Amino acid sequence: MSGLSWLAYSFAALMLATSAYCLSRLAVSWRHRRPTDHQVDAVHVVMGVAMAGMLVPSLRVFWAGGWEIVFGAGAILFGWRMVSDARAKRSSGHHLQHVLACAAMVYMLAAATAAVKSASGGSAMGGMGGGPAHFSTLALVLALALFGYVVWTADRFTALAPVAALRANYAPAVALAPAAVAATQLPATAASAAASGDLRPAGQSQDEPQTRVPLSPRLAACCEIAMGVTMGYMLILML
Amino acid sequence: MTTQALDASAGRARPAGRWLTGLGIVREAQWAAPDVRRRLQLGLACIWLLDAILQFQTFMFSKGFAQMLAGTGPGNPAVIASPINWASQIIGEHGTATNAVFALIQLAIGLGIAWRPTTRLALAGSVAWAVGVWWFGEGLGGVLNGAGSPANGAPGAVIIYALLAVLLWPAGTGTARDGKPAPFAASMATGAAAARALWLVLWGSLAYLALQPATAASGALSSMVRAMAAGQPGWLASTDNHLAAFLLHRGPGTAIVLAVVLAVIAVGVYLPGPAVRVVLVLALLTAAAIWIAEGLGGILTGGGTDPNSGPLLALLALAFWPLRVSGAAGSADPAVVADARPTVD
Repeated sequence: MSGLSWLAYSFAALMLATSAYCLSRLAVSWRHRRPTDHQVDAVHVVMGVAMAGMLVPSLRVFWAGGWEIVFGAGAILFGWRMVSDARAKRSSGHHLQHVLACAAMVYMLAAATAAVKSASGGSAMGGMGGGPAHFSTLALVLALALFGYVVWTADRFTALAPVAALRANYAPAVALAPAAVAATQLPATAASAAASGDLRPAGQSQDEPQTRVPLSPRLAACCEIAMGVTMGYMLILML
Repeated sequence: MTTQALDASAGRARPAGRWLTGLGIVREAQWAAPDVRRRLQLGLACIWLLDAILQFQTFMFSKGFAQMLAGTGPGNPAVIASPINWASQIIGEHGTATNAVFALIQLAIGLGIAWRPTTRLALAGSVAWAVGVWWFGEGLGGVLNGAGSPANGAPGAVIIYALLAVLLWPAGTGTARDGKPAPFAASMATGAAAARALWLVLWGSLAYLALQPATAASGALSSMVRAMAAGQPGWLASTDNHLAAFLLHRGPGTAIVLAVVLAVIAVGVYLPGPAVRVVLVLALLTAAAIWIAEGLGGILTGGGTDPNSGPLLALLALAFWPLRVSGAAGSADPAVVADARPTVD
């Protein structure tokens, strides 16, 4: 099954915008030493580009098989972080979201490769145009899991402080009680940053200015929502 | 990050959009971990999100979707059928624009329920949208034209969305309207008596429909289930084909058994605590069986607009599961349950 081209272009544009924003988060974090979850942002950068390439073949930027390795490694990385956090009795559920997303990417890429082999000729969905994928029930299960995480993230959205509030209070609070982070009330990105001890950039002491607050957790949540919806759309197209 | 947590636990209400907040519908208040009702709302949001993405499938932008809608009109009274034909004509002529709007509305409902400041707005919108789709998209679920059966989604899957929106409305907290602890999540907004009455009407209507010719006639149930197998993945097609073969000569008897089971479920919510759990487990199993018979609503075929009634009936059953209320009841903000923490008993 192939998607409509205008819809594919729309979702691809959304993914490229998300990817660019996450890249800017990494750049700002590096330039201004503002905390963020670098691994999550980095995965979002490559995931956005890969998804755009799957939606619109002309946007492909990587060799066949390369993305599978990248996202397979991503799934292992976040799986490892999940296990590590669980062992340390820290909140680890948010890593599952990224494990699922990486696993879904591997599934879609593998299914697309199989579809291309079985049916020559491209489509608006690129390699996803060869018809229903094998194990289509798995695509539905992955889509439902991703939708679950989308609503989970949206539900926690108002628990995230806007940057202005962070800027006002961040440094004194961190100085007072760095261990008091209620990770369960943070979004995936923010919570994983907290759980991994990435609350403060390397080299920054507690005496430094209060301006080095975390990058917007609400926008990070928006990225996760956008990626979850788009990936769910791509999985549903494979049914 | 610590401040984020502090802000989350001690934050002040901030308007999400002043013009919407002024309507009293949109609220943004202190965040609390989701209670049972909120989890059920999120389950409903998840299904709406699935519906939205299913609506983005290629088939929905084709003439076939309009023809599918038009097919729900015949057999209904003219006052019902004429608007269906009118709507399907418009959708057929402007398939891309109308379907894109439909999908975006459902996406907005799903995300709106999940985002706390707009939960009420989205639930209210979902009721209006569901009633519209029930009429224009499902022909009132086949209730009036004799085509409705519990095995094909009658009395209309979409009307159960509206019912859930009403029962899960974020008013009240750990207490029902009469001030006593809410016995189940669905009773928090409407009160236990009204919620049970709605349950009785829904499951009672399913029992009634199970005895109608669309289900009880010889071969009707079998052919209905066999039709659901078309285009499904192997495991589901095989299951539905085996079920259809089993029902081929046992249709009327199965319909009677189904009607009895549905009637027991309908009145079962009036039973005392331990018995009601048994009834609700029966309701969950029945919902699962109905969903299999429905072929999961056809969502694995690339032509399904929604998962049909099975998951919604299951969600409804969970909303009636007895609660054990701990802590003080009552909250300043009905949209966010913070103090009374109903938990599944």
